[in-house]
Amino acid sequence: MESKINHFMIGFAISSILRRGVKSFFTLFIFTSLIFLLSSILFISNSIKAELGFTLKSLPEITIQKLQAGRHTNIGINRIDKLLEFHGVVSAIPRTWGYYYFEKAGVNFSVVGIDSFDKQYKNSFESFVEDVDFDELSKNSSMIVGVGVKKALNDNYYKDYFNFVKPDGELQKVTIASTFKSSTSLESNDIILMPRDMVLDIFGMNENEATDIVLSVANPEEIPTIIEKIRNLYPDTRVITQNDLRVSYQNIFDYKSGMFLALFIISAFTFFMIVYDKASGLSSEEKKEIGILKAIGWKIDDILKEKFYEAFIISFLAFLSAIILALFFVYTLEAPLIKDIFIGYSRLKPTFDLPFVFDFQTVFLLFFLTIPLYLAAIIIPSWRVASMDADEVMR
Amino acid sequence: MIECKNLTKIFNKNKNDEHTALKNINLEFKAGEIIVLKGASGSGKSTLLALIAALSKPNDGEVIVNNKRISKMPDNFTSLFRRENIGFIFQKYNLIPTLSVKDNMILPLIPSNPDEKVLETAIDKLLEKFSMESKKNILVKQLSGGEQQRVAISRALINNPKIIIADEPTANLDGKLSLDFIKIIEQLKNASTTIVIATHDPLFFDLDFVDKIVELKNGEVIDVINS
Amino acid sequence: MLLTPEVIAILILDTIFLLFACFAFYISIPIALKWDINSTSAFQYGLEKKAILVATIIKYIFVLKLPLFLFFIFTSDKISGVITGAMCAAGVVNSVDFGLSLFIFKILNLYIFGFWLFLHTEDMKDEKLKFTKLKFTIFIVAFLLLITEIFYEISFFTSLDVDKIVSCCGTLFSAASTSTISFIFDISNPVIVTAFYITFALYLITFFLKKESLFLASNILFFIVSVLSLILFFGTYIYELPTHHCPFCFLQKDYYYVGYALYITLFIGTFIGISGSILSILKPEFSQNYYRTSLIFNILYTLIVSVYPVVFYIRNGVWL
Repeated sequence: MESKINHFMIGFAISSILRRGVKSFFTLFIFTSLIFLLSSILFISNSIKAELGFTLKSLPEITIQKLQAGRHTNIGINRIDKLLEFHGVVSAIPRTWGYYYFEKAGVNFSVVGIDSFDKQYKNSFESFVEDVDFDELSKNSSMIVGVGVKKALNDNYYKDYFNFVKPDGELQKVTIASTFKSSTSLESNDIILMPRDMVLDIFGMNENEATDIVLSVANPEEIPTIIEKIRNLYPDTRVITQNDLRVSYQNIFDYKSGMFLALFIISAFTFFMIVYDKASGLSSEEKKEIGILKAIGWKIDDILKEKFYEAFIISFLAFLSAIILALFFVYTLEAPLIKDIFIGYSRLKPTFDLPFVFDFQTVFLLFFLTIPLYLAAIIIPSWRVASMDADEVMR
Repeated sequence: MIECKNLTKIFNKNKNDEHTALKNINLEFKAGEIIVLKGASGSGKSTLLALIAALSKPNDGEVIVNNKRISKMPDNFTSLFRRENIGFIFQKYNLIPTLSVKDNMILPLIPSNPDEKVLETAIDKLLEKFSMESKKNILVKQLSGGEQQRVAISRALINNPKIIIADEPTANLDGKLSLDFIKIIEQLKNASTTIVIATHDPLFFDLDFVDKIVELKNGEVIDVINS
Repeated sequence: MLLTPEVIAILILDTIFLLFACFAFYISIPIALKWDINSTSAFQYGLEKKAILVATIIKYIFVLKLPLFLFFIFTSDKISGVITGAMCAAGVVNSVDFGLSLFIFKILNLYIFGFWLFLHTEDMKDEKLKFTKLKFTIFIVAFLLLITEIFYEISFFTSLDVDKIVSCCGTLFSAASTSTISFIFDISNPVIVTAFYITFALYLITFFLKKESLFLASNILFFIVSVLSLILFFGTYIYELPTHHCPFCFLQKDYYYVGYALYITLFIGTFIGISGSILSILKPEFSQNYYRTSLIFNILYTLIVSVYPVVFYIRNGVWL
């Protein structure tokens, strides 16, 4: 083992790669594709996780839903007073919201009702309420929509207004007052904000009902106790905490990336076989070359070292170009095809932008998932070549 | 210097196509000698050269070079031995055609990671000796046969070998180039370099600077002429 | 079962290691049993070439295992976000019964594989290859250890449970815990500190005596006492909390990753000391440079670890 880097050897390795242009290029190409696929998947899942992380932070600490026959149903507003009596509960706010299916575009909008007199549960909504005169919104029966909604409506020629179909079949015309953009696009993209009364009207809900009730607490440590009390008081409710949501989101995405990784394992195995095969199938010219090198004084170890340099140069090149390509693909082109598969509900939701997330942990992960595989594939073929009898050249 | 004791080499031993290439060879060459191995193709000349250079292992007997039993050394050490002691000139030059003259010449030294300046001086010296200075960075495949032969010799000399082994060096050369090669060999003769040439080219058989002619037939030594 | 990309990466590498190690093991047996450097048989020449293949495979495994060890800790740290109760790698590793064993095997294997490569390098310097038989006998043992580690690791990742509530490092590394290592908390601070500096002094003495067997013993002792004192005493000064004994938390950013500096210097210092001494015993003409390298790294470790309590005392005027 020489401690000094042998640049003659590196030079020879580079020229070997170039001399076997087509073969090297083929290996480089498939290895780059493999790493590209993998890094795209990881970049997308990182971005979605980051996006969800933002969303989770703005979600309420406790959400209470009423269940009837095992299904989510509307909850009575009168329960709020009782809930506020619990020790540690700072606020309890009824939320009125629902999904409106817009058939022409094949997407779901989240319609959220706001009440300027209640304390709002979302910072972004709050600032919006301050900016816009809420009374105007109510008077003109108008709404504020997310970017995605605006786009979906525009595509269907609804420039200034939209007709909601009420449960009784009547149309409710609502004008678009403005669009809003919150700090993250995944959560606000499909949202429509309008006065609470109008939401009740569109969904045919009762005045004294809400979709669910959200609580905020003074001390997160008390959450389990509060949940316990709620369950005792209202056995017909389901109580969801922020942490429940966090874990279930994390599981869904780990599961999804797990599925992709299972796919990756199959392609990685195929790749392994291809490289193994390529490295084993030597042309007579290459065999002769190794024979010459051994005859003029290269040790088995030297030839192995040279092969390692070759492999390292190819895999490093593939690694770098694949990551650059993947960054471009995911964050500039917005990952066509793959993104849709990844976020299962994309068909029902308007599209959104992936936030840029890039960390070195992912690079290390990619490194461990790919380069050792390539090196493993060449060990045995390289050894076989290197330990050939050198007297071949004399024949 | 070089000693062969009871050398026997059998190819494909214990198989249907078993073939005895060398039978019980005993030879001794001294330092500074020029030796010609003579014989028809298939007589065992190349096999003997391969054994002397430790490119392959004998089935029986041993090769001793400078008091080292090279036929018993593990593969990695025989390579090291060749790198330090032997210069090879092959029948078909065995150059890498897609590398430049310089890159072909440094091949034997690459694994020992030589000093750039020392290497450069050695290359220039050899190129000058063979009037190849202008071809240093030209690809070998663009050279003529005679020039390739000179590159092959330069490569064999780059490590200042104590032993030079040439296998049918003139088989692919025309009459004039063969004579050129013989001149070069004559120039290389000195007290410390041993040169072993395997050939069936009659040009070598009556040269006055050759010290020993060994004749092989069917894997056995049939005649040794000391001149 | 927890299938994060990191876990899958480790599992894939484990599979590769497992396959290669089995293959190398299969080749090693005839080498360990029938190696005869004086034989001129084709069989022996074949063994010589195969020995190089095994060495290449071991090099491959070791070179990857080294950074993979850090990656393992990093992954466990990351998983701790998903597992209820765990705050760092310690909680995750200890969420299964054999977590500690897995860890000990990991460290042991790093030492053994590192030593193997050390021995291999020395072996390849001499054409008699006189350590080859020994080398391959050691490998057969190392193989069994590696297999155990890999099986532990695979079952570790498959038995991780998101819904299970585990203890955080604060409770694991405390006198009140019932974990396997809690008995060490019976040792009082003055005792462990004195023990640490006495061991260090012993180490220095053996350095000047230049006697391999003593140097070997003092290095092993120094390693064990260092790890214990780090958990019991020095760690608390890094955290500036008398009750926090975790040997993992200081690997995190909050403590400027000082843990990596500590573990790496301690590993290099003791590893070179131990392997160098063994090689010296095996091969008397072995270069004595390892004494100095070991000394430099062990002193470095001792300095870093000592700075924390001293600085704390200077700043606060009291001990923890």
